[in-house]
Amino acid sequence: MLINSILNLITYNTMEEKLIEALAEALEMDRSTIKPDGVFRDYENYSSLTELSVLAMLDSEFGIEIEMKEFDSLKTVADLVRLITDKQKS
Amino acid sequence: MSLLSFNNVGISGLAAAVPQKIINNYKHDLYFNKDDIQEVIDKIGVRERRFADDNTCSSDLCFAAAEKLINEMNIDRNEIDLLLFISQTPDYRMPATSVLLQNRLQLSTSTITFDISLGCSAFLYGLSVAYSMLTAGGIRKALVLDGETRSKVYSQKDRKTAFLFGDGGVAALIERGEQYSTSWFSLNSDGSRESLIKIPAGGYRKMSSCETVTEKVVDEHGNIRSEEQGYMNGADVFNFVIREVPRDFDRLIEFAGVERNSIDYFIFHQANSYINGFLARKLRLPEERIPTTIHKYGNTSSVSIPLTIVSELSGKLNGQKRILLSGFGVGLTWGTAIIHLNDCFIGDIVEV
Repeated sequence: MLINSILNLITYNTMEEKLIEALAEALEMDRSTIKPDGVFRDYENYSSLTELSVLAMLDSEFGIEIEMKEFDSLKTVADLVRLITDKQKS
Repeated sequence: MSLLSFNNVGISGLAAAVPQKIINNYKHDLYFNKDDIQEVIDKIGVRERRFADDNTCSSDLCFAAAEKLINEMNIDRNEIDLLLFISQTPDYRMPATSVLLQNRLQLSTSTITFDISLGCSAFLYGLSVAYSMLTAGGIRKALVLDGETRSKVYSQKDRKTAFLFGDGGVAALIERGEQYSTSWFSLNSDGSRESLIKIPAGGYRKMSSCETVTEKVVDEHGNIRSEEQGYMNGADVFNFVIREVPRDFDRLIEFAGVERNSIDYFIFHQANSYINGFLARKLRLPEERIPTTIHKYGNTSSVSIPLTIVSELSGKLNGQKRILLSGFGVGLTWGTAIIHLNDCFIGDIVEV
């Protein structure tokens, strides 16, 4: 149980790192300015154009195929990490 | 499963026409400043496109392409028994534009004519109809005319669509013959996504009125359009396309049982260079086999696939070729086709 929890934590953290890196690239931002509790749509570089890059990144980097209704319900960077870890588990 | 296959029918020739007027997008700063539009144009990849003038319709572009094709291929007009006109920018609400073209092209009054209104996937749908009717027998030659004047559909004051669309028309001659081997089609539709690309008024659900033609600011970015101009939700469409188009591509390849390596060219609807680049990477296709015209003609809706063939594959379709077509858009509808060509005639592009 404890081992599983630790493993989950490590996976989560690695995934978070990977997502932040990929999100920074998609939005052409410095990775240090992206925080887990950041509301990604509020980032200055987020626009209808860079949104395409985020969707493309989720698909190509993480194999995430998502309906826009679900994507629109995600608010923070941590929500994106949770999306990826949940989808990859199922 | 809407999967079709045909034997001994194929496209024997293609010709295209575009308006003379070239719009240089980077200089198209009527309503937006150059710095703002640069970012949009860099992403969508449309450097130039063609705009029809007020007096030129889709049918005029198709007529010019058809005349070129009929004359250069030396076709007996009396042998054309079927004329399909594919467009969402017809001349009138009635009668059907295909009937007007039957007369203008001096085809027999026994010609079967009708219009197909579907948008970006429609060339594939139109081909499948022509292939089916030719296979049924009794039809000697079919003329598929596909034209759009999308420049007249979208507001030039809506940044989401003002830099994307262009105009064009094509003519394709379809014939039976043992020189053509098998072609395969997969055609799909999802009407639950009808609102993603739409002109909400001007039909019979919401008829034209002073209100529907009045321009309004429609969002917080200050984009302006009327209800009789096109709207597009780019992110939703993108998200749908990157998921479903590769899935349909794989499905048809499996149904056809052909090797990807045996396909000479992959011609995608020219949606925008960002979508097209993504699809090519996701499907791991070789760049040299993906002709593109998005940079010079923009998104011409249903016309973009055959226009890209005429523009980019002239001189490259001698002998036997197998090409894959992929169309997707408004509806939403989408489809994939693998067709066999044998010495397909390609005319030079006509300027109208």
